[in-house]
Amino acid sequence: METTQAAPIKYDMDVVRWFSIAAVIYFVVGTLIGVWIAAELAWPALNFIPEIAFGRLRPLHTNAVIFAFGGCTLMATGFYIVQRTGSTRLWSNGLAWFTFWGWNLIIVLAVITLPLGITQSKEYAELEWPIDILIAVVWLAFGLNYIMTIAIRKTSHIYVSNWFFMGMIVMITYLHVVNSLALPVSLTKSYSIFSGVQDAMIQWWWGHNAVGFYLTAGFLGIMYYFVPKQANRPVFSYRLSVLHFWTLMFGYVWLGAHHLQYTALPDWTGSLGAAISLAMIIPSWGGAMNGMMTLSGAWDRLRTDYILRFLVVALAFYAMSTFEGPVMSIKTVNALSHYTDWTIGHVHSGALGWVAMVSIGALYHLVKKLWNTEMYSDSLVNVHFWLSTIGTVVYIVAMWVSGIMQGLMWRDYDEYGTLTYTFVESVSAMHPYYAMRTIGGIIFNLGAWIMLYNVVMTVRQAGATRLAKAVTAQA
Amino acid sequence: MISLLHYLGMDTAAMTVNDWLGVFFTVAVFIGMVYVYVMVFRPANKDKFESRRGMALDDEDHINAGEIK
Repeated sequence: METTQAAPIKYDMDVVRWFSIAAVIYFVVGTLIGVWIAAELAWPALNFIPEIAFGRLRPLHTNAVIFAFGGCTLMATGFYIVQRTGSTRLWSNGLAWFTFWGWNLIIVLAVITLPLGITQSKEYAELEWPIDILIAVVWLAFGLNYIMTIAIRKTSHIYVSNWFFMGMIVMITYLHVVNSLALPVSLTKSYSIFSGVQDAMIQWWWGHNAVGFYLTAGFLGIMYYFVPKQANRPVFSYRLSVLHFWTLMFGYVWLGAHHLQYTALPDWTGSLGAAISLAMIIPSWGGAMNGMMTLSGAWDRLRTDYILRFLVVALAFYAMSTFEGPVMSIKTVNALSHYTDWTIGHVHSGALGWVAMVSIGALYHLVKKLWNTEMYSDSLVNVHFWLSTIGTVVYIVAMWVSGIMQGLMWRDYDEYGTLTYTFVESVSAMHPYYAMRTIGGIIFNLGAWIMLYNVVMTVRQAGATRLAKAVTAQA
Repeated sequence: MISLLHYLGMDTAAMTVNDWLGVFFTVAVFIGMVYVYVMVFRPANKDKFESRRGMALDDEDHINAGEIK
């Protein structure tokens, strides 16, 4: 132990508790909107007013799950990890509360503006310019607090999770600011300063690096703390974790152009994106193996530790989607997969399988620690685990089959060189798979409701226990 | 038939500022990667790195210190 002080350390955990509860609520809401829009694609009659039509609710879904659920999870776990591994409280508790309320204000503004059709139309960056500025301010407050807390740490070494979080903070600041550069023409309308092929390149430089630095690096920071913690085993190889971090930081920024194969972008940029994508399999699988091998000698715990199951299955999905992504970036495969539902399946194997599962495991762990109690029901955690796993598999299988079928139908032609199928025929053929995807989403969302119930009951149980102890002590 | 030398050749006179920035970052990343690999896999550094393996577990003594009990 490297702490230099003997007295118990006071941590700033109230803000972590609020972020944790907010994350669970947004998890339910974000996935519920996902289920609704999946149903809208299967049964278009559900798009009955513009405010809840697919085109407006889809960005609300992505913003809710990525920035509301994912963001609150990252901020809860980030503020927790940086304090615990640095044996110090936050540099500024006030700034942490500013981050909490600021981030939630952004989410409220997204809920208001996106259904009204107020959007910049940039994927994963739809919010208009005043909200973009607010995001930058709140994100910088989070980053400054995080980095300054590391600066005042009581330990000599900066644990690898903190490196992943700092990498995310620095890169997302840079990506968000550049991608959001726009000329405002009114309070609710602006135009990107980029146009044409440059706009496309900047869009996917942001888009894929949001995946790489926000949904991968940040959640790897969570993984490197919570997997050893929940397994009660040291990380398998610290050297591998350092290599994982630096290769991710050096390599990931080059990938974005693989989203733009066969477009007006110079051919070599797509090839470069694909080549680096393939190279990234090495650190990604190294990291996944590092997490899984941390369980060496403790695999039996998976029989009884349902929280650990979430974390390990998350690693399996991380390995799978970091293999699938590079394969899809290869031009030959991309010619079939691009613009089809295969991409949606790939995204959700990463989003549901990796990001959500690792978040759920970390949040269950956090709830127990933060309220100093056991879960209200371990059986419900187990039920949640199976609902999440089955829901994810049903969803991604539906999209894989649907996507590959789409790609094959679009490229099929007869002996006269005429397309065999019209586009409408391909849309019609998707219907059973869209219905199946909705069912997968419902199963996954049901698990989120169970998690919310279990967490609320756990917090109430902890409160009742504390009250009983206080009464006993007074008597 | 394009020779290997021609393929790897650079028309430096035609290069723009963007091109030079690209070259700089590519070379810098390459050097950075080599440095990281050497640092991580150097046998002399093994014990120093691996001594941090259990750092996430070390804070267990202070669970909830000053917090809800």
